[in-house]
Amino acid sequence: MNTFVQRFAGSSASKELLAGNASITEDEDFSDAAWGSEAGFGSLARGVPSFMVPSVPDPASFLRLHTDDHADPSCRIKIQHGTTTLAFRFQGGVIVAVDSRATAGSYVASGTVKKVIEINPYLLGTMAGGAADCQYWETYLGMHCRLHELRNRERISVSAASKYLSNLVYSYKGMGLSMGTMICGWDKTGPAVFYVDSDGTRLKGDLFSVGSGSTFAYGVLDQGYRWDLSDEEAQELGRRSIYAAGHRDAFSGNTCNLYHVKENGWEFIGNYDITTLHYDGPGNVAGSPGHGYGYDLRVEGHSSANPPPAAAPVVAAQA
Amino acid sequence: MSIMEYNGGSVIAMVGKDCVAIASDLRLGNQALSISSNFQKIFPVTDRIYLGLPGLATDVTTLRERFRYRVNMYTIKEEREIEPETFAHLVSSTLYEHRFGQYFIEPVIAGLSKTPSGGVKPFIAATDIIGCLNFAKDFVVAGTASSKLFGVAEGLWEPDLEPEDLFETISQSLLNAVDRDAFSGWGAIVHVITKDKVTTRTLKGRMD
Amino acid sequence: MASADGGAYSYSLTVFSPSGKLVQIEHALAAVSQGTTSLGIKASNGIVIATEKKSSSILIDDSMIEKVAVVCPNIGIVYSGMGPDFRVLIARARKSAQAYWKMYGEYPPARVLTQEIATVMQQATQSGGVRPYGVSLLVAGWDSHRGPSLFQVDPSGSFWAWKASAIGKNMVNAKTFLEKRYNDDISLEDAIHTALLTLKEGFEGQMTEKTIEIGVVTVPTLEELEAGKIGGETGRPKPTFRKLSEEEVRDYLAL
Repeated sequence: MNTFVQRFAGSSASKELLAGNASITEDEDFSDAAWGSEAGFGSLARGVPSFMVPSVPDPASFLRLHTDDHADPSCRIKIQHGTTTLAFRFQGGVIVAVDSRATAGSYVASGTVKKVIEINPYLLGTMAGGAADCQYWETYLGMHCRLHELRNRERISVSAASKYLSNLVYSYKGMGLSMGTMICGWDKTGPAVFYVDSDGTRLKGDLFSVGSGSTFAYGVLDQGYRWDLSDEEAQELGRRSIYAAGHRDAFSGNTCNLYHVKENGWEFIGNYDITTLHYDGPGNVAGSPGHGYGYDLRVEGHSSANPPPAAAPVVAAQA
Repeated sequence: MSIMEYNGGSVIAMVGKDCVAIASDLRLGNQALSISSNFQKIFPVTDRIYLGLPGLATDVTTLRERFRYRVNMYTIKEEREIEPETFAHLVSSTLYEHRFGQYFIEPVIAGLSKTPSGGVKPFIAATDIIGCLNFAKDFVVAGTASSKLFGVAEGLWEPDLEPEDLFETISQSLLNAVDRDAFSGWGAIVHVITKDKVTTRTLKGRMD
Repeated sequence: MASADGGAYSYSLTVFSPSGKLVQIEHALAAVSQGTTSLGIKASNGIVIATEKKSSSILIDDSMIEKVAVVCPNIGIVYSGMGPDFRVLIARARKSAQAYWKMYGEYPPARVLTQEIATVMQQATQSGGVRPYGVSLLVAGWDSHRGPSLFQVDPSGSFWAWKASAIGKNMVNAKTFLEKRYNDDISLEDAIHTALLTLKEGFEGQMTEKTIEIGVVTVPTLEELEAGKIGGETGRPKPTFRKLSEEEVRDYLAL
């Protein structure tokens, strides 16, 4: 797994450089396979996927220069950062909720992004940071989880799966991978949530939120969270938290996708439009408050600063 | 990040048949954080001229006061109401006075000017942050959603729209454009100016 | 103290005499009333301003002398009094008109420009180390808001709108004459003739195209106005004020 790191680690001694270049040439035959059949995972037969890297003495620093916008905000390769994702563990399993907005700069590139990656029927991964990175590596993770099942006649633990991903992305550290993900599932230990990011961080916890809107989600989540939440209450908390982030954060919004991981695998609860949640609420679903989440709707008529609608003519216009 | 994106916000103005319309979103943000959903960006200058000031919020307030001062002085000195064309030049001059320390505002002007025969003629104009005038015959856009507004308006606008149709066109243009802009939205307001009245409507928009 | 020349107060511009006068201003008016006669008449479809142009010697090339000046395409001014002072005021007025154009994209209405000039003249009655301007002015102009308007400005900085007025040496007689001849329906053509007749009263010497200067304001027709912004694409307004050429003056004198 660490062959990549070993090949390029720190040293730029000419001997290692030559060895490195030689191995790239050697690898070419299965690099083709990576682009061809076997869905891009053709190299699996030979172990960890291997990617072509810039042939410079220190590819990591070269890539950092061109892909990492922390090092260079004007770099050409932009990776989308705006997102809100959350997952929390409770008595009834794991709730996973995400928004669906993808932005490129200030442009809302899509409002229908699937940011929950269904790794397999009992593992979910969330997507924040680079969409391609998350999709590719979490799908890849899914394949390994299946191999683990075949080899060991039992499902992989959430802990092991997340560690596998963590080690993978760590071997590419500094080369522009960007992902902040939560690996959620139910294993022998019960419901489990692990936070994994492209820096190599891997954390076990009850409650996480990732992305530009995470602070807003945490605000709702923290005040509403209890271990003994009922399923309905937990789903409503996830929905309400994503609404809060979608409402306040410019780079999050459009819709909320809600999942519930139970003992027998995950279940897709629903897709909720943030604006509908604001004006009308989630509708006739479990845990619904029966009205809109919007601040104005909750205070309307209750304070002089928010007189009843008669004072200001509001025309509904359908977009 | 562009300074226009610090607070966000967008304005559009359109010409119709013997009428004009001007509309803006209602968002005030602090970069990605949305603060207010009732931030006024369009201000009446006279009974027949409205001024939209999308851009840095502190400059919205300052310029609004500055133009009020200058228009009041003009009205008193000249004993007449300022005409839209004249006001557009006043806006341009005022902004260019700050060529080397700009106000971060892209003004949009919409109004009806008087014709010599006693009728009215629709007028719209916009300037960049240092006052370069753009007299358009169809529509003008400004703010963080300007590129998106251009696209939608280009598709929806047609000549000689009656006030109610113009309202529909400008509303749909604005609403759909700001939905594609991270820094604009959170509701909208539309003013339609006709010979004998100004109709103002607040629109429900996406709240994310 | 109450001597004919104003006594001790006559030299300090900024000090009132016990009778409440700024004697220097009165002296300035005296300078105006020694100047050649000028007059202005507002007609139903325009304005005429005219003056006699008299040189102290036949050796002077009078083609250089200009007493009716164009300030901007819609405003002209004629004066009585001290030529050099007028020249300075005209320079100020032209600058002011251009500054207005720069700010508003159009030229100032006559009233606004008159007020600017009047302010300059008033400042000369209240500042240290200066003297009042030794001129009275007749400002004629047209603007879309007020139409044609005629103003008189005095050395004190005061100004009024007139239907017809005269300034300079023969102003009393000329005004009396105008009062008799004026009516509200007078046409521009008639007004030009009335102006010449008025100047003729007490004119010393021969009235020729060389000794008369005339400027006219013509009101644009509705068609001209509707044709879009006056001047169209060039951005240069079609002038509403112009000076009559010597040929035109000669033709009017011949009638």
